[in-house]
Amino acid sequence: MAVLTAISAWTVADVQHFARRAGFGLTPEDAATLAGQAPGPAIDAWIDGTALDPAAYQAAAATADVVLEPQISANTTVAGSVDVPAVQPPHPFLVEGADAWRNSLNTAQALTAWRMQFNPYAFQERMALFWHNLFATGWHKVNNAALMLKQYQTFRTLGLARFDDLLVAVSQDPAMALWLDSVLNNAAGTKVANENYAREVMELYSLGADNGYNQTDITQLARALSGWSFTYAEADLKVNPANPSSKYPADARFRVYDGSAIAPDTRLWYGGTATTSPNMHATGTVSYLGQTFDVTTTTGGLAKGENALRSILTSRGANCAQFLARRLLTHFVTATYSATDLADVQAMIQAAGFDLRAVLKTLLKSQYFFDPANRFALAEGPVSWTVRAARMLCPPLPAASSATPPAYPAWRLVTNAATTFDQAGMKLFDPTGPNGWKEHTAWLNSNTMRYRGRLAAALALAETRSFSGATYPLFPTTVTAWFPTAPATPQDVLARLTALLQPAPLPAAVTAEWLAALWPSAFAWDAASQAKARELAFLILCSPAGQLY
Amino acid sequence: MTTRRDFLQTLGAAGATLAGLSACGGGHGNGGTGSTQPPIAVPTSPILVIVNIDGGNDWLSMLPPNAGANLGIYQTKRATLQIPGTQQTDLGSGVGLNTDFTGMDQLHALGRVAWITGIGMPNPNLSHFTSIDLWGQGATVPAGNGWLGRFADTAFNPTGDVLRGLTVTADLPIMLKGATRSYVSITGSGGYVYPAYLLSSSPVADAATLEQGWAAALAATGPDPASAAAYQAAAAAGTLFYDAQNNPAFGAGGSLPSRTPAVLYPGDKGYPVTRLNGSALSSTLSSQFKLIAQMIAAGLPTQVFFTRLSGWDTHSNQATDHPNLQRTLGGSIKAFYDDLASITTPSGTAQDRVMILAYSEFGRRVQENSSGTDHGTAGLSFCVGRAVKGGLYGGYPDLANLDANGNMKFTTDFRSLYATVLDRWLGQATSTTDTLLGASYPRLGFL
Repeated sequence: MAVLTAISAWTVADVQHFARRAGFGLTPEDAATLAGQAPGPAIDAWIDGTALDPAAYQAAAATADVVLEPQISANTTVAGSVDVPAVQPPHPFLVEGADAWRNSLNTAQALTAWRMQFNPYAFQERMALFWHNLFATGWHKVNNAALMLKQYQTFRTLGLARFDDLLVAVSQDPAMALWLDSVLNNAAGTKVANENYAREVMELYSLGADNGYNQTDITQLARALSGWSFTYAEADLKVNPANPSSKYPADARFRVYDGSAIAPDTRLWYGGTATTSPNMHATGTVSYLGQTFDVTTTTGGLAKGENALRSILTSRGANCAQFLARRLLTHFVTATYSATDLADVQAMIQAAGFDLRAVLKTLLKSQYFFDPANRFALAEGPVSWTVRAARMLCPPLPAASSATPPAYPAWRLVTNAATTFDQAGMKLFDPTGPNGWKEHTAWLNSNTMRYRGRLAAALALAETRSFSGATYPLFPTTVTAWFPTAPATPQDVLARLTALLQPAPLPAAVTAEWLAALWPSAFAWDAASQAKARELAFLILCSPAGQLY
Repeated sequence: MTTRRDFLQTLGAAGATLAGLSACGGGHGNGGTGSTQPPIAVPTSPILVIVNIDGGNDWLSMLPPNAGANLGIYQTKRATLQIPGTQQTDLGSGVGLNTDFTGMDQLHALGRVAWITGIGMPNPNLSHFTSIDLWGQGATVPAGNGWLGRFADTAFNPTGDVLRGLTVTADLPIMLKGATRSYVSITGSGGYVYPAYLLSSSPVADAATLEQGWAAALAATGPDPASAAAYQAAAAAGTLFYDAQNNPAFGAGGSLPSRTPAVLYPGDKGYPVTRLNGSALSSTLSSQFKLIAQMIAAGLPTQVFFTRLSGWDTHSNQATDHPNLQRTLGGSIKAFYDDLASITTPSGTAQDRVMILAYSEFGRRVQENSSGTDHGTAGLSFCVGRAVKGGLYGGYPDLANLDANGNMKFTTDFRSLYATVLDRWLGQATSTTDTLLGASYPRLGFL
């Protein structure tokens, strides 16, 4: 059984396990500091994001060349086009918020990696990444940077809300509405509903395949959610930076297309203007999961049909909790949980009323989570793996932001071209399908291992990249900064790098072979040894143990 | 919504484009138009190329009914999406072939396409992901490894044959997972010699030390019980790449010899068929086929390749998306077939050695929704090759006899296709095939 009782004490190794899974790792020094606190309050604060000083991070995010897309050229013949001053690499990120529409996929990936690396509220980024995989929405169909980033921001803000509120927010999210065809779900009159979203919201987002519903429930829910679309203000219509002849909304708001007035938003999702929305919403009642719902009238501030959607958690609470338990266990704890473990976590989720904050606190404080059997038992996804290594090897925010130019990884170049998250197996913001990415050992195949080797080289071996006539380090690193105390032996080098990179236990024969090959003769902490330390870091990162966390 | 009139207007120079296709493809080998040719014998070194039509193909728009009772039902339930008879080549037996399925009419006329209509399983699942697993596993209940993975477990040399099964997709599909063997994933033609793929710019110092250190870690067993299983999974994946990149089949610099295709493929400049709106077709599948052609020409010892074309989940916008997808799929297959004729190998021309097997996880609902079709059941598979006896196989589903959800009932068990391929193309003994599939399924007559 999964013992969900909270631990009462923890070690530095426990803290590091927690931080790898619930964030993107902690340095040995930071882990030691946290280990000095009682685990209960410390984990509460970690999950709630309290006791943090985000000022430096927010300042860096707002000013430190987190700015504009160099590829956008002014197009004075297209109304709405904006002349954007180019900012040179290595850090040409874009802003979010009102200017989020300026991003390309690569810059959106880059700025998100930057946030994962530097956000002091690491758990917020960890949960956003988790929900992005679960509610996987793909850039290649949405084709709108602003709406994709808006959805990701929803995962940050509602990632610890009640699950039904998150589920409704995602169901009303404009990017999702485009992705799974809610905008084309027309069930008015005798029209046949488009059941794409209704199927996936149960199969992929709340219950799991064939877990408590049937085909009739799908068609009925499709009717309940028909006409769920969005509108946007005229002022939010922007020129596509990649294609100035096309325009798209830089923001949008959920709206049920039921023939009612839509002012002050004057644009429909497909760009048309009208003062009333088309009528695409079914009328009358639907029979869904054994209950009947009036989807025509609204009560309690719910949108038309929202009553049916919300009933998933009441009519099929056990199924939904089981679904969530599977996903949470596989991401945070272990992929080889027992049926009893699953039932225990499912019961806990139901008892917590699907309050995600409470659920995550219970799970991540539990003896079950800290069980040694679950340590290094998961293969880590490539984005998390890369960000965690960058957090360990690259300068932390104060040093990075005060350097000239700022010593941030050139995420824009990392996410571009050949050294990509894509080939490593996680094309952030652009999953192939709505099922996202399978986790654990599904991250590992011959191609993804090839590209992990490449990323390991970029992280550890000081790879540079030329761009626009200048050369930049992909990951700015200083070997001496990895070693607060100068190592006296090869074993010291290994011990420190292991403490930083935190691979699964390495076979002793392997590390002995590595050290003998790298330092065949007397050891001195000189430039040559520092170069060897990079090579040792590379070996740790691309070894099998280095893929686990 | 694209109407027939729009379609004609979009094509514009339709006569030129469609006629031009054979002009570009027909100058090589056995491609092009012509009368039916008898199939050749199954080659001694057969190659299987899987094409995954990913997303659930609305094959009723590919091979629509064009006569009999099915036609009226089809026209009623496909009030807006039906394919008019004027846009079909008659295949006989009340079945038409959509002319948007570029090049396939020519391959059919040569007798090189076996169409298996109504293929499916007794308990179909309308989930993409469950159905993808079932098709991959060759099972009707999700469990176990892939049917081609099991084939590899049985047929591949356990300590060699690292390039015998290969996917040109970046993922490892479940169809290719075995208990002891997995297929290698190679998505490009270069960088397969150590350490060329590590750094894009500067030389790697101590490359030999790093390579040996990496190999040592891959060969080791994880010392920690908690992480041992995951360690071995990472080591197996890494070893597969390590062995592949060290393979002498890759030439100097770790790159396959460059190769210029003998024909134009979809996406190439000058390819005569476009999307409905006149823009170029996707090169997604073309680039996979070109890489495979390059690999065969380079002499890679690969017996099974896997490719994928996604985007077939046409819940909406089907009138535009599905024709474009058909043009890409058909045009890519036709170009690949023609291109292979120009590749000579010690075991015969590549065109003689390759058979393409295309499948999708399900067909789509007969009744259309307001702009597309939702998930359905029975599907279409087809095989293309010089050894294939072309024609219609399986039965066409009876559209008057749908299941309770309005979906077609399958007429041919998908494992009959797999069984036919395993013993008549991949050379497995009948008993081995039956063991791999867990039971004996009737063989189809196209091989």
